[in-house]
Amino acid sequence: MKQESVFSTRVYPVLFMVILTVVFISVVSGIYLTTKERVLLNESLFQKKAVLYAAGIDFPENQPQEVQSIYEDRVTEVDSEGGQPAYFKIQLPSGTTGYAVYVRGAGLWGEIVSIFGFQPDLKTFTGVEFVEQNETPGLGARITEQWYKEQFRGKSGPFELVEEGASEESNELDAITGATRTSEAVLKIANKAAETARDKVEKGGK
Amino acid sequence: MSESAYPIAIFFAAVFTNNILLSNYLGMCSFLSVSRELKTSFGLGVAVIFVMTSTSMLNWVVYYKVLQPLGLEYLRFIVFIIVIAAFVQLVEMIIERVSEVLYAALGIFLPLITVNCAILGVSLFMVIREYTFVESITFGLGSGIGWFLAILAMAGIRQKLKRARIPHGLEGAGITLIITGMMALAFMGFSGMLQIG
Amino acid sequence: MAAPGKIKKTFTDPIGKNNPVFVQILGICSTLAVTNKLENTVIMSLGVIFTTTLSGVTISALRKFIPARVRMMAETLIIASFVIIVDITLRAYMPEVWKQLGPYVGLIITNCIIMGRAEAFALNNPAGLSLIDGLSSGIGYSYVLIVIAFFRELLGTGELWGITILGEWWTNWAIMVMPPGAFFMLAIFVWIVKGVVMKEEEAAK
Repeated sequence: MKQESVFSTRVYPVLFMVILTVVFISVVSGIYLTTKERVLLNESLFQKKAVLYAAGIDFPENQPQEVQSIYEDRVTEVDSEGGQPAYFKIQLPSGTTGYAVYVRGAGLWGEIVSIFGFQPDLKTFTGVEFVEQNETPGLGARITEQWYKEQFRGKSGPFELVEEGASEESNELDAITGATRTSEAVLKIANKAAETARDKVEKGGK
Repeated sequence: MSESAYPIAIFFAAVFTNNILLSNYLGMCSFLSVSRELKTSFGLGVAVIFVMTSTSMLNWVVYYKVLQPLGLEYLRFIVFIIVIAAFVQLVEMIIERVSEVLYAALGIFLPLITVNCAILGVSLFMVIREYTFVESITFGLGSGIGWFLAILAMAGIRQKLKRARIPHGLEGAGITLIITGMMALAFMGFSGMLQIG
Repeated sequence: MAAPGKIKKTFTDPIGKNNPVFVQILGICSTLAVTNKLENTVIMSLGVIFTTTLSGVTISALRKFIPARVRMMAETLIIASFVIIVDITLRAYMPEVWKQLGPYVGLIITNCIIMGRAEAFALNNPAGLSLIDGLSSGIGYSYVLIVIAFFRELLGTGELWGITILGEWWTNWAIMVMPPGAFFMLAIFVWIVKGVVMKEEEAAK
């Protein structure tokens, strides 16, 4: 004979859920804490790689130590008030001093955050890296692909969009087939990048 | 937050060009099974709009006012789904007390909605894209309406299909998927509609 | 220990006859979104297999203790926890892929397959069998995705796993990269499978 006591119908379910919750959340939190350091390291490594890539400096993909030392050698962060540097001064492979800045703009879905690298003239790009974007996977998100980023090297604005693969002049940028609006968003960002860089560098130099 | 598209643009994008179902593949399970009947599709669609909008608002508050200040963002999956489940449960109870008619019409759908990936998806997207509170409302509302439009259209088409001859292997899921694909294609045509910035 | 025949059946069922994705049309949500790249699909599949298997075992082990009232909540909590573990692990060890998978990792929780197997199998079967069931449900789900991803990435970008396979001569079928392509591929898959299954049923008569 089974008795439906207060315990089994009211207390036990609650007790069970509480214990279950505590156990699982502890396990999850434990794993979270052990990986936290690593996540932060990943982030900072990613930023460093982005700056180096935008500056056109080579680095080995899978050796964090190497990347770290190359970065320390060549990059100076300027004016880091609470977080992100205002701009970066970079010793380019050619020996001259280039710059890199964060340039943000509206994408199709959310903000696109990019780092543009410049030659000393603050007009010609040394390259670009897209640090944050929420564009459509397989379409707009292709701005993070190698071929798309590489096209920026050595070009200078103001820019125009042309069909994918058709860019020739130094002021033409390939759009991405099927990702018209993301391409236009990046166009806008590229067109304001030089001005952003000039602003930041001139202000920071004080 | 983000300086991106205005709330209105997000709304229209969520309904048409980046439809939660036709472009983001979410909410398919109930979509495929319920779209058989026009009336039930309508009911489910309305319920989805309501729950989606409400839970995106609730989850926004929970994420930015509770989880983030405490550094507990990594628990958002558990917390969001609990909020959704609790909300749905609450609504079901309220409707049952308040209106027999409403309960008869909508009540049965509510449990189905809890596991609808679109609802959780909306909350997750909202966090990833760092929407403001207003933006998350328009996003939730727009996504709900977009889903509603999709399931309604699908139900209407399937009604007509009842008279058509479909290859045996495509009956049910197969043909529905093909139609969904075509609808997705059609909705992509809306892309030209929006201008950003 | 269960009879060997039962073990084998538990394993093969979800992969073929009762394959969750196309026969039961479950779990399509997160499926299609990631099938535009093979690499992402494989990683996602591993995440799903991990979650399905471990939550199946856990729920099965606890099945005699879970009060009926809170059954769904308990299952959800367990499944969600494993998904968070997958999410955290990916973020720490494969940040590039994690960024691309986006919210779809979290959506594994609402993946109907996992909850479905928990209700249908894990609650009524011992832990050992549930492990096998979870594992094979996960595998059954995965290989469908991988096949779809294979075609989508190959035809849509000429690449597989980021490596260019088809050369310059190939014009990318852009539609494969976009949602309609995914829906069509899945429909074709369902069609083919149904055709095969139906032929078997005819022959068996």
